[in-house]
Amino acid sequence: MDLLGNLVLGFGVALSLQNLLYCFIGVLVGTLIGVLPGIGPLATIAMLLPITFSVPPVAALIMLAGIYYGAQYGGSTTAILVNLPGETSSVVTCIDGYQMARQGRAGPALAVAALGSFFAGTVGTLLIALAGPPLAEFALSFAAPEYFSLMLMGLVAAAVLAQGDMAKSLAMVVLGLLLGIVGTDVNSGIARFSFGVTELTDGIGFVVVAVGVFAIGEIISNLGDATRRTVETAKVTHLFPTREDIRRSIGPVLRGTSLGAFFGVLPGTGPAIASFSSYMLEKKLAADPDRFGRGAIEGVAGPESANNADAQCKFIPMLTLGLPASGVMALMLGALTIQGIQPGPQVMTQRPELFWGLIASMWIGNLMLVILNLPLIGLWVRLLSMPYRLLYPAIMAFSAIGVFSVNNSPLEIYLAALFGVLGLVWMRLGFPLAPLLLGFVLGPMLEENLRRALLQAAGNPMVFVTRPISLVFILATLAILVVMAFPAIRRRQRDIAD
Amino acid sequence: MTKLRVLLLSLLGIWLAAPPLAAQDYPTRPVRLIIPFPPGGSNDVVGRLVASNLGERLGKQVIVENRAGAGGVIGTEIAANAAPDGYTLLVISLAHAVNPWLYPLKYDPIKAFTPIAVLATGPNVLVVHPSLPVNSVRDLVALARQKPGEVQYASAGIGSFQHLGAELFKLMAGVNLLHVPFKGGGPAMIDVVGGHSKVMFSSLVQTTPNIKAGKLKPLGVGGVKRNPVLPDVPTIAEGGVADYEAVNWWGLVAPAGTPPQIVERIYKAVAEVQAAPSVKQQFATQGADTLQMGTAEFGAFMQTEMSKWGRVVKEAKIKAE
Amino acid sequence: MIAVLRNNRDLWAGVMLVGIGAGAVLMARDYPFGTTLRMGAGYFPSVLGWILIAFGCWIGVSGLRHRAVIEGGWSPRALLVLPLSLVLFGVFIDRAGFVPALAVLIFGAAAAGRDFRLVEVLALTAFLTALCVLIFVVGLGLPYPLVFGF
Repeated sequence: MDLLGNLVLGFGVALSLQNLLYCFIGVLVGTLIGVLPGIGPLATIAMLLPITFSVPPVAALIMLAGIYYGAQYGGSTTAILVNLPGETSSVVTCIDGYQMARQGRAGPALAVAALGSFFAGTVGTLLIALAGPPLAEFALSFAAPEYFSLMLMGLVAAAVLAQGDMAKSLAMVVLGLLLGIVGTDVNSGIARFSFGVTELTDGIGFVVVAVGVFAIGEIISNLGDATRRTVETAKVTHLFPTREDIRRSIGPVLRGTSLGAFFGVLPGTGPAIASFSSYMLEKKLAADPDRFGRGAIEGVAGPESANNADAQCKFIPMLTLGLPASGVMALMLGALTIQGIQPGPQVMTQRPELFWGLIASMWIGNLMLVILNLPLIGLWVRLLSMPYRLLYPAIMAFSAIGVFSVNNSPLEIYLAALFGVLGLVWMRLGFPLAPLLLGFVLGPMLEENLRRALLQAAGNPMVFVTRPISLVFILATLAILVVMAFPAIRRRQRDIAD
Repeated sequence: MTKLRVLLLSLLGIWLAAPPLAAQDYPTRPVRLIIPFPPGGSNDVVGRLVASNLGERLGKQVIVENRAGAGGVIGTEIAANAAPDGYTLLVISLAHAVNPWLYPLKYDPIKAFTPIAVLATGPNVLVVHPSLPVNSVRDLVALARQKPGEVQYASAGIGSFQHLGAELFKLMAGVNLLHVPFKGGGPAMIDVVGGHSKVMFSSLVQTTPNIKAGKLKPLGVGGVKRNPVLPDVPTIAEGGVADYEAVNWWGLVAPAGTPPQIVERIYKAVAEVQAAPSVKQQFATQGADTLQMGTAEFGAFMQTEMSKWGRVVKEAKIKAE
Repeated sequence: MIAVLRNNRDLWAGVMLVGIGAGAVLMARDYPFGTTLRMGAGYFPSVLGWILIAFGCWIGVSGLRHRAVIEGGWSPRALLVLPLSLVLFGVFIDRAGFVPALAVLIFGAAAAGRDFRLVEVLALTAFLTALCVLIFVVGLGLPYPLVFGF
């Protein structure tokens, strides 16, 4: 009852003409920067922050939030069309989304991404409304041991990412972990693998690696391979998903949304972890995992739902506790304080119109995004029929500007070029690229939390099994190992029997 | 054809022969303001707040450029090498006075810059998780004496303001606390609010909401005076650690050799910005104070800060290796 | 025999892994190793380096048995010109400005392909450069000077 009253209040605020307009501007800008690689919500919100000083707080927050979740929608577009991840979280979408595009199924991939995101956004918004504060309290019970056990589970599950050769996939994960080490060690302040280059003391940017190995590596590969390029413009069969596509997508969307919501609530997990988890889960559950990496629609539906649910739920710690889970959320907190509002638990009671207005606007914004994105699909798909020799210089230009805009650092451009070459070499040597990025994302968090957990527990390794939540993850990790070993054991027994 | 060529050449000639723009005309084009930290941090918020207002007063846009990395070293180095014509400015903070002791630098933090103005200052605040059985600075010191090296404090990373404030406290109070570094103030605060690390010397700006919500217990603020945001909270010095002071500051500098008239022009514009009630209020809600300081005074202040924190870095053996 | 080795995909994959792993282990010797319960900065990279070496040996040896060959074409022209055009973009954007850097990048990228038509590429360069200026500098307000000196 109370909830209903609050929602009525929220929609009353969000549906005012002014707030609808700010919401629309927000999601529109968000979609645009989401499509463009590199330039993310962080930089955009920072640039727009001074403008919002003169706008009422509710409208300002609605617009900034729109930019943030709008970017998650846009991020998948270039990932699917040209293998260029528009946002960190859409890297996973490259794996199967791009393959679908090559088979002339870019339309269904884009549509499923948009619809899955909308569903996830709706659920995420509901979660904030229904259970924001208790979820935030749950998230606070996560400390270093829990995060380490969780990351360890993700790392073990990564074996599922294997495309054919298991050893090569695992080697790529380890290589990714090593790449993630580049930079200043949090615990000791020592700059590792920085080769005396000041810029490298901050580590290698995720955008640099992702754009390098995926987008640029793919272009170099295509240019060297005259035969594959002609396959590129495969006939577009249909723009929208078939009944079969939808049927296949429902499960992944539901599971992806749950995973995304879980990771979204936890402040200590970055983007991409939710979508990676969803991908690994879908592949594990699929009756025919071989289709993954070759254009499986589940590999788009799950991760895209997951990353949108994650983005939506990242608001929970910010709104209910006033704690920033990411740079974007820190900026939103800044926007609030400059407006004279103390963020934190008291916002819900003292400024209900702000809290519920924002929540209602998020749902409206998600609706706007679907309406905005579905008609665009036809346009995007037509873009693909452009001759490749005209298309790839444009991809190069957007990649370069995107990479540069993150830190305005020329060195990152050079690194992206290097990773482009490495990406090609790895591809030709039969290495899958997705495990590299998973290792790269997990690596720093894994090490940081392991060492922090041991530091805080005065060197007692039992901390990982005496804390209940951590123990659950450790047990789950063991279960995954057993399940993975099982087919191998069975095969061996059969071999012996023969 | 020849006419065109003559025209182009003469245009080129005019461009090349143009005398250096007179300082009194300044500014004739947009001014670049380098912020050596990523968007979202205190440096960025302060810098952007000043940039938008400064642009109005100077009559040309002030364009913010984030050149983040290596604790501010990368952006600072770019500013040090920029032309001293008043069209490149840099926002610095306490980190500027600490970096020389932590990193090998390719610039002289004092000589490579012309100080212009201090923009604002903001103290740290000593907070603990409510589950820690202490109610004052004295209690905390007593607890730390009883269990040396067991009470854990979180920081935003090696060499951060939060780290230095805590190390200064350890030195002055003669106690030992265990340092748990995080990647940034946000994650560190989340750990303390969750009750995993118990203590933090946080920047006041970030902490007020959680203090007001009762999630964190304030024991003392690091300024010389009590802060209007938390009038009931004593200073750490009042709490028993005499002369303790840990105050972050943000300032505006230009590359060394910038003409004095231009420095003067910017200084006056900054002073006007600082005097504006709306700006004062925006800083105040952040727990920061505007502070006016003459150009020369600012230079001397930077020197003092450098030697103060240099001693902390050395005595607390903060430098990596 | 040599020719077989030269095209052996997994052998080269193994060599690469061992090389990177060994590099990591060597470099990590400069960082304090610590113990398993109090890890130093060198612990993680050393361990990972050794794991990578192990994987490299495994994959390389299995390559000698299976003899899979490297598939897919290499275009030396694309492999050189494309990264080079990116590098030039990085060099120019801080020294000459947004427009020249982009023009060089787009022209260079187009030149990396096989069917290079000068007029078409020039038109494409002009069009894309203008488009990017519109989107990024005018639209998104990124703080890049278009051409230095102005």
